[in-house]
Amino acid sequence: MSTHAMSPLRRIGGLPLMPERGTASVFELALLLICAALVVVRLPQNIQDVIILTYLWAGLALAWNIAGGYAGLISFGHAAFFGIGAYTSTILGVKAEITPWIGIWLGGLLSAACGTLLALICARLRGPFFILSTLAAAEVVRIGALNWAALTGGPEGLAILPVPSVGNMVFASKHAYAVLMLGYLVVVYVAAKFIEGSRYGYRLFAVRDDEDAASAAGINPLLMRASAMGISAFITGIGGSLFAQYFLYLDPTHVISPELSFQFALLPALGGLGSAIGPVLGSFAITPLSELLRSYLGHAAHGLHLAIYGGVVIVVMLYFPGGIAGVLERFNRVQRKDRR
Amino acid sequence: MTALLELRKLSRAFGPLWAVRDVSFAVQPGELLGLIGPNGAGKSTLYNVIAGVLPPTAGEAVFEGRTISRWRPYHVARAGIARTFQIPKPYRHLTVIENVALSAMLHDQSVAAARKTAEAVLGDVGLADYAGAQVSILTAGLLKRLEVARALALKPRLVLFDEIMAGLTPAEVKVMTDMVAGLPARGITVIWVEHVLYAIMKTAKRILVLHRGELIADGAPEKIAKDPAVIKAYLGEEMSLA
Amino acid sequence: MTTVGQLVFSGILIGSIYALMSVGLTLVFGVLRVVNFAHGEFLMLAMYGAWAITRFLGLNPYIAIVAVVPAMFLFGMLVHRLMISPALDKPHLVVVFATMGLSILMQNVALMLMSADLFDVPPLLGGRSWTFGPLYAKPELVIGFLVAVACTVALQWMIKSTYLGKAIRATVQDGEAAQLMGIPVPRIFLITFAGGSALVGLAACIMTPLFSVFPTVGLNFVLIAFVVVVLGGMGSIEGALLGGICIGVVQSLSSYYIAPAYGQMFFFILFLLVMIFRPTGLLGQKGTANIGIND
Repeated sequence: MSTHAMSPLRRIGGLPLMPERGTASVFELALLLICAALVVVRLPQNIQDVIILTYLWAGLALAWNIAGGYAGLISFGHAAFFGIGAYTSTILGVKAEITPWIGIWLGGLLSAACGTLLALICARLRGPFFILSTLAAAEVVRIGALNWAALTGGPEGLAILPVPSVGNMVFASKHAYAVLMLGYLVVVYVAAKFIEGSRYGYRLFAVRDDEDAASAAGINPLLMRASAMGISAFITGIGGSLFAQYFLYLDPTHVISPELSFQFALLPALGGLGSAIGPVLGSFAITPLSELLRSYLGHAAHGLHLAIYGGVVIVVMLYFPGGIAGVLERFNRVQRKDRR
Repeated sequence: MTALLELRKLSRAFGPLWAVRDVSFAVQPGELLGLIGPNGAGKSTLYNVIAGVLPPTAGEAVFEGRTISRWRPYHVARAGIARTFQIPKPYRHLTVIENVALSAMLHDQSVAAARKTAEAVLGDVGLADYAGAQVSILTAGLLKRLEVARALALKPRLVLFDEIMAGLTPAEVKVMTDMVAGLPARGITVIWVEHVLYAIMKTAKRILVLHRGELIADGAPEKIAKDPAVIKAYLGEEMSLA
Repeated sequence: MTTVGQLVFSGILIGSIYALMSVGLTLVFGVLRVVNFAHGEFLMLAMYGAWAITRFLGLNPYIAIVAVVPAMFLFGMLVHRLMISPALDKPHLVVVFATMGLSILMQNVALMLMSADLFDVPPLLGGRSWTFGPLYAKPELVIGFLVAVACTVALQWMIKSTYLGKAIRATVQDGEAAQLMGIPVPRIFLITFAGGSALVGLAACIMTPLFSVFPTVGLNFVLIAFVVVVLGGMGSIEGALLGGICIGVVQSLSSYYIAPAYGQMFFFILFLLVMIFRPTGLLGQKGTANIGIND
């Protein structure tokens, strides 16, 4: 998306109508208002659950996108970072009585270190070799967590006491969780917008699009890849901790699973890689849909909702590779007057 | 005067095949040096070794007094050497101006400043009209010009051009030749690999000829054109300065 | 000492079957340069087919090969026409995500149609093992080993000696040049992909007497297949056999000497070590890992 001058018809109050790199847009602000409204308004509990998860998954999709969409590092192992963050804050909280408000940052840092390490280990790998390595690394983490019962509780997992206490980041009302998740989403979104409009972001795009050309332009590809992975892992780890505080129960099979890793990759892919709004749109479209399908169809036919999901992924990838954001962008470009 | 770039018996082998062998020459600041040779002579390999893409098998390259022989490509670029790619490698998902601005970001501290630099450079190569376009719509000739723009936006002290005239119309060749000829005056030393011989023979004051990895001639264009070794290398083809 | 010998022997046998299951994947990567993330689900589909033929027609799974292999070839053609071919000129992540979507779709259709229950085929020869001196092995394993080795030899011969094999090799080296030489590259892609699918069908028939089939059985095996392929070198048929055998032996030894739970972890670590130190694998083409996929 170019930030070149737009036709005056498409700007309101100095801001562009549709999302653009490096600036806020009317679309994004409107979406933010809607999200905030949904947090404040009284809604049935199950809908609040969906909203909480949608916001959390949107933040996680954004995190994945920094590595996958911006830097081109397609990872099918991000559930490992999710799990590392979740387990770190939970173990520190349950065993060392460190408040999650501090614990989540430590979890994030540990995840970031692991992410950077992974990128360094896989420095020479490209394409499917890289993807498979992330998968293998996540499996190592999962099996490790499953077997190191002394630390992680093994297959029985860990539980957080469901006693509401702000100090322990456990809340009685869903409203509070919704605010927490929305806060996470907004902070991550702003960070992503900031990155994509900065020199650092452009350098990530360059390494993604053509590593040799980027090198010839003075960009250090390894540094870009390792830092992108580190940032992505950091944010994912924090998301994992927030999830732990909400769900109040962790076990390796569900929290460090390949299925979850695919989810983190699929939401941005469906919503549109390479832009901040894409992963958000992906989560907003898919998460409520899949929860809805699960509750209405899950009993009627086991797996129907996921089968539909799989079918949708195929169709979108083949016919709309730019995802939802890509469709919006095409619509936007058709409307523009001074097309160059 | 210390040479800007000095190659000392620079060599690169691929197994038993010496693609570049014992190449030695010095380039002074402000020179416009042509590098020619038949296909397979080793010109691209030489560039790849200088630019840090391949390590030399023997010998060394010295730039502004520092030995750059084993430096990574990004390190070489930051030191002040820019290069173009024979087959253009644009950033496919970015616009033309963004492609150039990325190079400018090496020195410019903000995206906005980089875009300004990029605009100026696009003007130099005649791509100003395409600033906001996606690179996918550019023809081969325009992509070559984009390569040149990206190299120049790095504000290099030495630029390595790799066949930037291929696919250009005669009018375009004239524009580009004039632009390249003006670079030394702007403080940019040029090494120019080219097959479009009339452009390079008219502009460069000094020509190097590479054949089978070895330097077989080094001198003024008129002398090169009559050099029997050069003529033999090109299979008896006589070159005239038309 | 005999224990180690037995473990290694069993490891070689099961490893060869892993190789048979993986050789389709390595061929598809070598020729089309795509990784089919639904590879495990192709195996699952074929295993259900072999099971069904055994259960409802009373034939044994080895006879089922006659039906399952052609059926899988056709299925592979269908998937290639509908999904792989349109995605080839798009960025490689399209194929990656599309095959992942296919994987999810197939797993859940299987879940809906067949339920999550495990289905088994009764062992042949009444469950007795064959003995080879001090060593013993289930007959299904030995037959599997023989089929896998025969298949590898046949494939190698085909690649080296037939026109199709030469066409495939040419396409691997330079698709454009191959096309200019009159080789119908799109058809080579189709045949290779469908052929890979057929090979999975063959592996499934061999594996049905040894493993239960259930909707997510593909997930276990696809990870093994990836490790085998990477270890052996993407695109190398002998590499797949060698890689498979290595994995089989490693798994066999580590499950016995270290906790069985950690057994799986070991070959992922092996995978990562290979990726770090020799990403092209034992017998693969140098540099493929650094190029990844042609974009």
